[in-house]
Amino acid sequence: MGDTITKVKILTQYEGMSNSRSLSTYKEHGGYEALAVALKKSPDEIVSIVKDSGLRGRGGAGFPTGLKWSFVPKTEGKKYLLCNNDEGEPGTFKDRYILELSPHMLIEGMIISAFAVGAQKGYVYTRCEFFDEIKWLDDAIKEAYEAGYLGKNILGLGFDFDLDQYQGAGAYICGEETGLISSLEGKKGQPKLKPPFPAVSGYLGCPTVVNNTETLSAVPWIVKNGSDAYRAIGTEKSPGTKLFSISGPLKNPGVFEVPLGYPMMKLVEEDAGGLLEGEELKAIIPGGLSAPVLLPEDVKDLTLDYEAIAASKSMLGSGAITIIPKRQCMVELLKLIMDFYHHESCGQCTPCREGTGWITNILEGFFDKSATVDDIDQIYAICQQMAGRTICALSDAAMPTVGIINKFRDELVSYIERGTERERFSYI
Amino acid sequence: MAVFTPQIEEKIEHYLQRYETRRSAILPILHVIQDEYGWIKDEHIKELDEKFQLHRVHVQEVATFYSMYRLKEPKKFRILFCDNVVCCIMGAKQTMAKVQEYIVAYEKAGKDCPFSLEGVPCLGVCDGAPAMLINKDRHLKINPDNVAEYMERYAPLP
Ligand SMILES: Cc1cc2nc3c(=O)[nH]c(=O)nc-3n(C[C@H](O)[C@H](O)[C@H](O)COP(=O)(O)O)c2cc1C
Ligand code: SF4
Ligand code: FES
Repeated sequence: MGDTITKVKILTQYEGMSNSRSLSTYKEHGGYEALAVALKKSPDEIVSIVKDSGLRGRGGAGFPTGLKWSFVPKTEGKKYLLCNNDEGEPGTFKDRYILELSPHMLIEGMIISAFAVGAQKGYVYTRCEFFDEIKWLDDAIKEAYEAGYLGKNILGLGFDFDLDQYQGAGAYICGEETGLISSLEGKKGQPKLKPPFPAVSGYLGCPTVVNNTETLSAVPWIVKNGSDAYRAIGTEKSPGTKLFSISGPLKNPGVFEVPLGYPMMKLVEEDAGGLLEGEELKAIIPGGLSAPVLLPEDVKDLTLDYEAIAASKSMLGSGAITIIPKRQCMVELLKLIMDFYHHESCGQCTPCREGTGWITNILEGFFDKSATVDDIDQIYAICQQMAGRTICALSDAAMPTVGIINKFRDELVSYIERGTERERFSYI
Repeated sequence: MAVFTPQIEEKIEHYLQRYETRRSAILPILHVIQDEYGWIKDEHIKELDEKFQLHRVHVQEVATFYSMYRLKEPKKFRILFCDNVVCCIMGAKQTMAKVQEYIVAYEKAGKDCPFSLEGVPCLGVCDGAPAMLINKDRHLKINPDNVAEYMERYAPLP
């Protein structure tokens, strides 16, 4: 299946261009051509093209996009398309890059996707800390209205679609699709039990498709170039390109678009420039904080596709790669991870709310030297009670914890046995 | 005296019309109020209920759930420092300790310090870790050696 190394620029086509965010630059290089193609086809044809392309959701779960769209009932009435631009998974900053480069690509992708699923209204839900990015997207939406790409009778081809942006207010859980819907309804961002899935009953009880920014932004290229062209990139089961946001002690951290199936260490050493002088690799988190950690020997020959990373017992997730250097204490890392999930748990489900709190308390014991080796098993046991028993997948935060215990048990044990003195900082 | 200025009332009305339900306007309206007055006061919530028919319980629910909203009078400069994994690997805690020292030094000079410091989850700019926001300004690659310079730009030590 295709050459997995040749880089094709789909999402980053506009990299390096001046005024890349403007409508004129976007159009000059083929922007909004896919829209004209799409609106002359039938919605079902668009769903088929996206299905055949093998595009999978880039928000974390990797669910096939065309398949998700086909779950929307073909009934009359209000339907919504929501773009998940909440980008809260720690380590992830790829959607930000799309807004920085080409907000019109997202808008074009949303119009085509809305046409495919029969939505008349769309919202982009953006995290509120993206102050500049919010403005850039607002400006682009305004330009698109003025140019007749949004609103009534788009391009004179009879399709109506309105698009608006909505700002979050600082809650990681609003990145979970049903939490996002609750938030957009003006409520606490608490996830809802599925089924019913949003495609059947979502925003205000109407059929609603939620897709990630990167997923929607890939749609124009696919429609314009065809599903075979997309399939020719990447691997058979993970077609296309993906944005990877890579950070940590690197010479050149950033966002890189590579074909799925790209070698992980090539990304680390070539694209990201390798580790900073004096740093040594201890571990890698391959797909955002929720993904279990991998050791250098696990990633040596690892390729960046859904299957290969799943086979190594982690996940590709949002495509956020975090470099953990040798000097990083894994007990501290575990505490950071659990503090985060404990803080962000919305509190609806007992295993999540209590489990994250209980583990943070046990970890405190590591710092005040009251922990025993049995506490490691206790954490492990709590994790077994957390995953898969709750309304949403935040509780699967247990996964990275289990991952660290599995791979770094010796370090945790020796931390306890040594009675390590923790560096405390005054601001806490 | 009116609780909101006419301009703010106009914005509130705008958001109440903009979405499918009035309730969806709560988040944007609270952003507007906070941008204008610095924080969300009880009298604001009361006025939203009495004059704009946004149920007090609904507004309170939103105002307390989301961490960006401030329900107490804030300092002039609110520092939100990312204390998530990447920023901590790159030295966030050591840098936050320096921020705290600056605040202490300010207070020692007998002045009310205009800064507050909070640790927040990943800001989505980990390629520039450690990262912080001072109000709406994003600052990247902050370290223990340069953080005081950034703070001086907002308020030099007395
Ligand atoms: C706790 C939690 C946080 C999430 N955060 C995000 C996020 O910030 N951005 C995102 O696109 N998806 C996030 N997701 C995944 C969404 O629930 C959903 O699967 C996704 O938006 C679907 O879009 P996609 O199919 O295009 O990936 C999160 C999921 C969970 C459980
Ligand atoms: S799993 Fe946690 S975050 Fe998700 S709904 Fe339950 S309590 Fe809320
Ligand atoms: S971890 Fe600090 S910005 Fe992402």
